[in-house]
Amino acid sequence: MTGPASGYGDTGERRRAEDAPLEITALIDDETVQSIAQEAWSALIGEDEFLVPLPGGLPDDAVSSWVEVVGPWTGAVVLTCGRTTAEELSRCLLAEHAPPVLDAEDVADGLGELANVVGGNVKAVLPGPSVLGLPEVGTAPAAGADVLRVDLLWRGRSLTITLQGSAGALTAHQYDPQKNEVPL
Amino acid sequence: MKILIADDSRVMRQIVIRTLRQAGYDDHDIVEAEDGADALAKVTSESPDLVLSDWNMPNMTGIECLQAMRASGSAVPFGFVTSEGSPEMREKAANAGALFLIAKPFTADTFNEHLDGVIA
Repeated sequence: MTGPASGYGDTGERRRAEDAPLEITALIDDETVQSIAQEAWSALIGEDEFLVPLPGGLPDDAVSSWVEVVGPWTGAVVLTCGRTTAEELSRCLLAEHAPPVLDAEDVADGLGELANVVGGNVKAVLPGPSVLGLPEVGTAPAAGADVLRVDLLWRGRSLTITLQGSAGALTAHQYDPQKNEVPL
Repeated sequence: MKILIADDSRVMRQIVIRTLRQAGYDDHDIVEAEDGADALAKVTSESPDLVLSDWNMPNMTGIECLQAMRASGSAVPFGFVTSEGSPEMREKAANAGALFLIAKPFTADTFNEHLDGVIA
Protein backbone atom coordinates (compact mmCIF):
# COMPACT_ATOMS: atom_id res chain seq x y z
CA MET A 1 0.00 0.00 0.00
CA THR A 2 1.34 3.36 -0.93
CA GLY A 3 0.44 6.77 0.53
CA PRO A 4 -0.85 9.85 -1.31
CA ALA A 5 2.68 11.07 -1.94
CA SER A 6 3.68 7.86 -3.64
CA GLY A 7 3.85 9.58 -7.02
CA TYR A 8 6.90 11.41 -5.73
CA GLY A 9 8.52 8.19 -4.50
CA ASP A 10 11.04 8.70 -1.73
CA THR A 11 12.89 11.53 -3.39
CA GLY A 12 11.43 14.29 -1.18
CA GLU A 13 10.42 16.15 -4.34
CA ARG A 14 6.96 17.07 -3.02
CA ARG A 15 8.31 18.40 0.27
CA ARG A 16 10.89 20.54 -1.53
CA ALA A 17 8.20 21.91 -3.85
CA GLU A 18 6.13 22.98 -0.81
CA ASP A 19 9.15 24.57 0.84
CA ALA A 20 10.20 26.56 -2.22
CA PRO A 21 9.89 30.28 -1.48
CA LEU A 22 7.13 32.06 -3.33
CA GLU A 23 8.50 34.39 -6.01
CA ILE A 24 6.92 37.79 -6.26
CA THR A 25 6.75 37.75 -10.06
CA ALA A 26 4.53 34.67 -9.85
CA LEU A 27 2.14 36.43 -7.46
CA ILE A 28 1.60 39.90 -8.94
CA ASP A 29 2.51 41.68 -12.17
CA ASP A 30 3.78 45.19 -12.86
CA GLU A 31 0.46 46.35 -14.32
CA THR A 32 -1.33 45.51 -11.07
CA VAL A 33 1.29 47.38 -9.04
CA GLN A 34 1.00 50.39 -11.34
CA SER A 35 -2.80 50.27 -11.07
CA ILE A 36 -2.61 50.20 -7.25
CA ALA A 37 -0.17 53.13 -7.24
CA GLN A 38 -2.29 55.11 -9.69
CA GLU A 39 -5.36 54.68 -7.50
CA ALA A 40 -3.38 55.96 -4.52
CA TRP A 41 -2.07 58.93 -6.52
CA SER A 42 -5.51 59.86 -7.84
CA ALA A 43 -7.09 59.75 -4.38
CA LEU A 44 -4.27 61.26 -2.31
CA ILE A 45 -2.15 63.44 -4.63
CA GLY A 46 -4.83 64.68 -7.03
CA GLU A 47 -7.45 63.51 -9.51
CA ASP A 48 -5.34 64.67 -12.46
CA GLU A 49 -2.05 63.22 -11.28
CA PHE A 50 -0.81 60.37 -13.46
CA LEU A 51 1.94 57.81 -13.20
CA VAL A 52 3.49 56.97 -16.56
CA PRO A 53 5.19 53.57 -16.92
CA LEU A 54 8.53 54.77 -18.25
CA PRO A 55 12.02 54.42 -16.76
CA GLY A 56 13.65 57.72 -15.96
CA GLY A 57 16.69 57.11 -13.79
CA LEU A 58 16.80 58.07 -10.13
CA PRO A 59 18.91 61.00 -8.90
CA ASP A 60 21.87 60.49 -6.56
CA ASP A 61 19.92 61.83 -3.57
CA ALA A 62 17.15 59.24 -3.89
CA VAL A 63 15.24 58.37 -0.74
CA SER A 64 13.04 55.36 -0.05
CA SER A 65 10.05 54.50 2.08
CA TRP A 66 8.83 50.98 2.61
CA VAL A 67 6.57 48.64 4.50
CA GLU A 68 7.27 45.01 5.24
CA VAL A 69 4.84 42.24 4.45
CA VAL A 70 5.14 39.05 6.50
CA GLY A 71 3.25 36.00 5.38
CA PRO A 72 3.41 33.31 2.71
CA TRP A 73 5.48 35.89 0.78
CA THR A 74 7.72 37.94 3.03
CA GLY A 75 9.47 41.06 1.85
CA ALA A 76 9.11 44.80 1.44
CA VAL A 77 7.16 47.15 -0.77
CA VAL A 78 9.57 50.00 -1.47
CA LEU A 79 8.89 53.41 -2.97
CA THR A 80 11.98 55.32 -4.15
CA CYS A 81 12.32 58.80 -5.63
CA GLY A 82 14.51 61.88 -5.49
CA ARG A 83 14.32 64.21 -2.48
CA THR A 84 12.75 66.98 -4.54
CA THR A 85 10.06 64.57 -5.70
CA ALA A 86 9.49 63.39 -2.12
CA GLU A 87 9.04 67.01 -1.00
CA GLU A 88 6.62 67.70 -3.82
CA LEU A 89 4.60 64.60 -3.00
CA SER A 90 4.37 65.56 0.67
CA ARG A 91 3.32 69.08 -0.29
CA CYS A 92 0.51 67.60 -2.41
CA LEU A 93 -0.57 65.34 0.45
CA LEU A 94 -0.70 68.21 2.92
CA ALA A 95 -2.35 70.53 0.36
CA GLU A 96 -3.45 73.77 2.07
CA HIS A 97 -1.87 72.64 5.34
CA ALA A 98 1.61 72.49 3.78
CA PRO A 99 3.91 75.08 5.39
CA PRO A 100 6.05 77.33 3.14
CA VAL A 101 9.08 75.23 4.05
CA LEU A 102 8.52 71.54 4.69
CA ASP A 103 10.58 69.99 7.44
CA ALA A 104 12.21 66.57 7.05
CA GLU A 105 9.64 64.97 9.34
CA ASP A 106 6.75 65.99 7.09
CA VAL A 107 8.56 64.68 4.00
CA ALA A 108 9.32 61.35 5.69
CA ASP A 109 5.76 61.13 6.98
CA GLY A 110 4.28 61.78 3.55
CA LEU A 111 6.55 59.38 1.68
CA GLY A 112 6.04 56.72 4.34
CA GLU A 113 2.28 57.03 4.13
CA LEU A 114 2.36 56.58 0.35
CA ALA A 115 4.37 53.37 0.80
CA ASN A 116 1.90 52.31 3.48
CA VAL A 117 -1.13 52.76 1.21
CA VAL A 118 0.53 51.10 -1.80
CA GLY A 119 1.90 48.31 0.42
CA GLY A 120 -1.45 47.67 2.07
CA ASN A 121 -3.12 47.23 -1.30
CA VAL A 122 -0.28 45.07 -2.65
CA LYS A 123 -0.65 42.87 0.44
CA ALA A 124 -4.34 42.44 -0.37
CA VAL A 125 -3.39 40.89 -3.73
CA LEU A 126 -0.76 38.54 -2.30
CA PRO A 127 -1.67 35.18 -0.74
CA GLY A 128 -2.58 35.46 2.92
CA PRO A 129 -2.80 35.51 5.78
CA SER A 130 -0.10 38.11 6.11
CA VAL A 131 0.57 41.22 8.15
CA LEU A 132 1.89 44.67 7.31
CA GLY A 133 4.62 46.50 9.21
CA LEU A 134 4.82 50.20 9.98
CA PRO A 135 6.31 52.45 7.29
CA GLU A 136 10.02 53.20 7.39
CA VAL A 137 12.01 55.84 5.55
CA GLY A 138 15.67 55.99 4.60
CA THR A 139 17.95 53.80 2.55
CA ALA A 140 15.95 50.82 1.36
CA PRO A 141 17.02 47.32 2.40
CA ALA A 142 19.10 45.63 -0.30
CA ALA A 143 17.15 43.63 -2.82
CA GLY A 144 17.97 40.02 -3.62
CA ALA A 145 16.95 38.00 -6.64
CA ASP A 146 13.22 38.00 -5.81
CA VAL A 147 12.28 41.44 -7.13
CA LEU A 148 9.53 43.04 -9.14
CA ARG A 149 10.49 46.57 -10.13
CA VAL A 150 8.09 49.08 -11.65
CA ASP A 151 9.60 52.26 -13.11
CA LEU A 152 7.28 55.23 -13.28
CA LEU A 153 7.35 58.93 -14.07
CA TRP A 154 5.33 61.46 -12.08
CA ARG A 155 5.36 65.02 -13.40
CA GLY A 156 8.34 63.92 -15.49
CA ARG A 157 10.27 62.81 -12.42
CA SER A 158 11.42 59.27 -11.85
CA LEU A 159 9.88 57.08 -9.17
CA THR A 160 10.21 53.35 -8.67
CA ILE A 161 8.18 50.81 -6.75
CA THR A 162 9.95 47.56 -5.95
CA LEU A 163 8.52 44.48 -4.33
CA GLN A 164 11.51 42.64 -2.94
CA GLY A 165 11.58 39.35 -1.12
CA SER A 166 13.58 39.11 2.08
CA ALA A 167 16.62 36.88 2.11
CA GLY A 168 15.74 33.79 4.13
CA ALA A 169 12.06 34.60 3.94
CA LEU A 170 9.57 32.24 5.49
CA THR A 171 7.91 29.90 3.02
CA ALA A 172 4.24 29.12 2.80
CA HIS A 173 4.97 25.74 4.35
CA GLN A 174 6.81 27.25 7.33
CA TYR A 175 4.53 30.23 7.95
CA ASP A 176 1.96 29.80 10.68
CA PRO A 177 0.08 33.01 11.53
CA GLN A 178 -0.73 31.64 14.99
CA LYS A 179 2.95 31.23 15.75
CA ASN A 180 4.37 34.13 13.78
CA GLU A 181 2.48 36.94 15.35
CA VAL A 182 3.29 40.40 14.17
CA PRO A 183 1.19 43.22 15.58
CA LEU A 184 -1.43 44.31 13.08
CA MET B 1 -20.33 66.66 17.02
CA LYS B 2 -16.78 65.89 18.15
CA ILE B 3 -14.71 63.51 15.99
CA LEU B 4 -11.47 61.94 17.24
CA ILE B 5 -9.02 61.06 14.44
CA ALA B 6 -6.26 58.63 15.39
CA ASP B 7 -3.34 58.03 13.03
CA ASP B 8 0.40 58.02 13.65
CA SER B 9 0.86 59.96 10.42
CA ARG B 10 0.20 63.70 10.77
CA VAL B 11 -0.08 63.87 6.99
CA MET B 12 -2.81 61.22 6.98
CA ARG B 13 -4.69 62.95 9.79
CA GLN B 14 -4.75 66.09 7.65
CA ILE B 15 -5.99 64.07 4.66
CA VAL B 16 -8.79 62.53 6.75
CA ILE B 17 -9.81 65.99 8.03
CA ARG B 18 -9.75 67.38 4.46
CA THR B 19 -11.80 64.45 3.16
CA LEU B 20 -14.38 64.89 5.91
CA ARG B 21 -14.76 68.48 4.79
CA GLN B 22 -14.98 67.49 1.11
CA ALA B 23 -17.65 64.94 2.04
CA GLY B 24 -19.72 67.72 3.58
CA TYR B 25 -18.93 67.05 7.24
CA ASP B 26 -17.34 70.41 7.82
CA ASP B 27 -19.06 71.71 10.91
CA HIS B 28 -17.59 69.45 13.56
CA ASP B 29 -14.94 69.66 16.24
CA ILE B 30 -11.85 67.62 15.43
CA VAL B 31 -9.51 66.09 18.00
CA GLU B 32 -6.31 64.35 16.87
CA ALA B 33 -4.49 61.40 18.44
CA GLU B 34 -1.11 60.11 17.31
CA ASP B 35 -1.52 56.45 18.27
CA GLY B 36 -3.95 54.04 19.91
CA ALA B 37 -2.84 54.83 23.45
CA ASP B 38 -3.32 58.56 22.85
CA ALA B 39 -6.74 57.84 21.32
CA LEU B 40 -7.78 55.73 24.30
CA ALA B 41 -6.80 58.50 26.70
CA LYS B 42 -8.64 61.12 24.65
CA VAL B 43 -11.81 59.02 24.47
CA THR B 44 -11.97 59.62 28.22
CA SER B 45 -10.69 63.20 28.38
CA GLU B 46 -12.40 64.59 25.26
CA SER B 47 -15.62 62.50 25.14
CA PRO B 48 -15.81 62.32 21.34
CA ASP B 49 -19.00 61.31 19.54
CA LEU B 50 -17.11 59.28 16.91
CA VAL B 51 -13.64 57.76 16.59
CA LEU B 52 -11.97 57.33 13.16
CA SER B 53 -8.81 55.30 13.65
CA ASP B 54 -5.93 53.82 11.71
CA TRP B 55 -5.22 50.15 12.43
CA ASN B 56 -1.42 49.92 12.33
CA MET B 57 0.06 52.30 14.91
CA PRO B 58 2.94 52.16 17.38
CA ASN B 59 2.35 51.83 21.15
CA MET B 60 -1.22 50.62 20.75
CA THR B 61 -2.91 49.52 17.53
CA GLY B 62 -6.36 50.66 16.53
CA ILE B 63 -7.93 47.27 17.22
CA GLU B 64 -6.32 47.18 20.67
CA CYS B 65 -7.69 50.65 21.35
CA LEU B 66 -11.19 49.58 20.30
CA GLN B 67 -11.02 46.43 22.42
CA ALA B 68 -9.85 48.44 25.43
CA MET B 69 -12.65 50.95 24.92
CA ARG B 70 -15.32 48.28 24.77
CA ALA B 71 -13.79 46.45 27.76
CA SER B 72 -14.05 49.65 29.78
CA GLY B 73 -17.68 50.04 28.84
CA SER B 74 -17.30 52.78 26.21
CA ALA B 75 -19.84 52.48 23.41
CA VAL B 76 -18.53 55.44 21.37
CA PRO B 77 -19.08 54.75 17.64
CA PHE B 78 -15.78 53.63 16.12
CA GLY B 79 -14.65 53.17 12.50
CA PHE B 80 -11.33 52.22 10.94
CA VAL B 81 -9.56 54.20 8.21
CA THR B 82 -6.67 51.96 7.27
CA SER B 83 -4.43 50.90 4.39
CA GLU B 84 -5.68 47.31 4.60
CA GLY B 85 -9.16 46.04 3.98
CA SER B 86 -8.91 42.26 3.83
CA PRO B 87 -12.02 40.21 4.67
CA GLU B 88 -10.21 38.89 7.77
CA MET B 89 -9.55 42.39 9.06
CA ARG B 90 -13.09 43.52 8.33
CA GLU B 91 -14.41 40.53 10.27
CA LYS B 92 -12.05 41.20 13.17
CA ALA B 93 -13.05 44.87 13.19
CA ALA B 94 -16.76 44.04 13.19
CA ASN B 95 -16.35 41.44 15.92
CA ALA B 96 -14.59 44.03 18.09
CA GLY B 97 -17.45 46.44 17.64
CA ALA B 98 -16.36 48.69 14.76
CA LEU B 99 -19.13 50.17 12.62
CA PHE B 100 -17.11 50.13 9.39
CA LEU B 101 -13.68 49.89 7.84
CA ILE B 102 -12.65 52.40 5.17
CA ALA B 103 -9.62 51.24 3.19
CA LYS B 104 -7.02 53.74 1.99
CA PRO B 105 -6.92 55.25 -0.54
CA PHE B 106 -10.37 56.74 -0.07
CA THR B 107 -12.42 59.53 -1.59
CA ALA B 108 -15.12 61.84 -0.28
CA ASP B 109 -17.67 59.46 -1.81
CA THR B 110 -16.22 56.60 0.25
CA PHE B 111 -16.65 58.69 3.38
CA ASN B 112 -20.26 59.48 2.45
CA GLU B 113 -21.01 55.78 1.92
CA HIS B 114 -19.86 54.89 5.42
CA LEU B 115 -20.54 58.02 7.44
CA ASP B 116 -23.99 59.12 6.29
CA GLY B 117 -26.22 58.16 9.16
CA VAL B 118 -23.30 58.06 11.60
CA ILE B 119 -22.44 61.74 11.53
CA ALA B 120 -25.43 63.91 12.24
